[in-house]
Amino acid sequence: MRPNDRAGSNLMRRQELELLAAKIRRNVLDICMQRGGYAGQGVALADIAACLYFDELRDDTKGWFHDRFVLSNGHDAIMCYGALAEHGSYTMEELRTYNADGTKVDQSPIEGQLGFEITAGSLGQGPSQAAGIAYGERLKGSDKRVYCLFSDGELQEGNVWEAAMFASHHQLSNLVYIIDNNDLGATGSTTDTLGVEPVPEKFEAFGFAARRINGNNIEEILNAFDEARQIHDKPYVLICDTRLFVGIDCLRAVLPMAHYVAAKDADWEAGLTEINAKITSLTNRL
Amino acid sequence: MKLCSDLLDADSRTFDDAPFDTISYELCSRRSDVIMVSADLSKYTQMHSLKKKLPDQHLEVGMAEQNLISVAAGVSKAGYIPIATTFACYATRRAYDQMLICMGTSPLTNIVIGFTPGIANPARIHHQAAEDLGMIRAIPGATVIDPMDVTEFDQALNTAVDTPGLVYMRGHRGNTPRLLDPAAYTFQLGKTYQLRAGKGIGILSTGHATQWALEASAKLEHRDVEHSLLHVPTIKPVNEDEIAEFCFAHDQVVTIENHQIVTGLGSLVAEIVSDIGRGPRITRLGIPNRWAPGGTLPYIRKQLKLDADQLADQIVDVL
Ligand SMILES: Cc1ncc(C[n+]2csc(CCOP(=O)(O)OP(=O)(O)O)c2C)c(N)n1
Ligand SMILES: [Mg+2]
Repeated sequence: MRPNDRAGSNLMRRQELELLAAKIRRNVLDICMQRGGYAGQGVALADIAACLYFDELRDDTKGWFHDRFVLSNGHDAIMCYGALAEHGSYTMEELRTYNADGTKVDQSPIEGQLGFEITAGSLGQGPSQAAGIAYGERLKGSDKRVYCLFSDGELQEGNVWEAAMFASHHQLSNLVYIIDNNDLGATGSTTDTLGVEPVPEKFEAFGFAARRINGNNIEEILNAFDEARQIHDKPYVLICDTRLFVGIDCLRAVLPMAHYVAAKDADWEAGLTEINAKITSLTNRL
Repeated sequence: MKLCSDLLDADSRTFDDAPFDTISYELCSRRSDVIMVSADLSKYTQMHSLKKKLPDQHLEVGMAEQNLISVAAGVSKAGYIPIATTFACYATRRAYDQMLICMGTSPLTNIVIGFTPGIANPARIHHQAAEDLGMIRAIPGATVIDPMDVTEFDQALNTAVDTPGLVYMRGHRGNTPRLLDPAAYTFQLGKTYQLRAGKGIGILSTGHATQWALEASAKLEHRDVEHSLLHVPTIKPVNEDEIAEFCFAHDQVVTIENHQIVTGLGSLVAEIVSDIGRGPRITRLGIPNRWAPGGTLPYIRKQLKLDADQLADQIVDVL
């Protein structure tokens, strides 16, 4: 399986991406079980990561991506790490230093680290930068598309809505926002702290084409990306409903609301066993 | 030379694992006009009891720091005393204009607490606040406090609620030591505290870094290096006379802060001394004007030469 390999039937394409998503989940656990981390988000976002990195972003023929990905929600870097390990741009050995003193693999990376276009731990600053990149790429006459991942928590920041107004005013149809809509912030459910819904309607009112999907359904994710490419007069927002740890049931059961995870050894081991069994069965199916 | 009697001796020091839980709850129990405002970090600033037992005195604005500061300022204009809480980096950098405009130009009491200041946060750059004291002390009329421990944090906050205008203070959270004896110590706005009297090198420190200065002081004592230590919790309005008197009583002055040496305590002391002229040389120790690393606090301190041994070495080197 290579990035952007659209050959083969839709079923093949989906099954390969499901296997990649399972491997991303395994990588996320492997990394986070060393010293803790944002495992729940990494696991939940594995399907989006598989579709994005291994299907949607086009290859630049130099081992990297032609299209641009902007991670706004810094701590979701764990999703990128899980995927970039499969891509071959990071080794698991490097990634296992995540959260260690002196590591080069930041939990929320700084601009310039491989795979990260912006410094993103101060949340809510990605959507505007992605819009600026999309504006600049279009001005240059480039065909690059710009994808920006951010979270429901970030929707509480005014900066995000300033970005939305700008992107639609400039009809940035080369811009796709992907929202991890997991009803969770640092303190608990965003429904309780400060409700963000209805998300699609808000973006539609701002002039976006909006699509709400199950963020763990590969077919829905791929269809949405296909749809986004057909729209030429407005930006696109993909609202992905997710929940922490979807895809690893035993961890989802014990850590349903853990924004940051320092799990017990036994829980990590159980999670690894579950995901390894899944990888075996998905591999056999291909 | 003996240490100031307000300090607990090493064996009677305790550790609080959620200091702001108690401080916020007790203050709000005593003062029904106080409203604690948070921006999706109440769990991480440890405001647990208040939310459960006095929910009307807690206001949550979501992860939205500009809104946090502006809503809090609005609450003050309706007759309450707001205490806006978040990490120091977001309070100051994300909402500086709101703080300056909505709170800085108002005579009403508006308190902002910045937690995990300086390098007290493992996530480098974005979660660290190395410039908050400098930013806020530049606001005319603002009050800026950097408490050294939980005792002082508690007392300073209780003073802040009766202080007009914008009060910015740094907070302590997590497993943090209590060094000042609450029965002996009294915080007074603007006062400096001589924690160790002596000759030789004059050390000034503030906030969390006063803990580091005390650690370094113990090393210096061991090495027979004469020195004295002045703790400066109030950065603004600063007591220029007490600072000048202390500095001019020493040939060499060293400042230690959990903040950039640009615009922080070191700069402040240099301004005071240079306004008078012909003063001692001032060596500023703290976070340099480059990006600090991330990681555990002991690791970061070591990298920045702010651990007890390297601080003591650098202090000896000024001689
Ligand atoms: C500007 C800013 N304010 C506050 C924080 C502290 N913080 C870190 S994560 C977080 C919650 C964000 O919600 P979300 O990204 O949806 O969290 P997740 O669902 O990924 O757990 C907060 C408030 C921050 N990193 N940046
Ligand atoms: Mg969330």
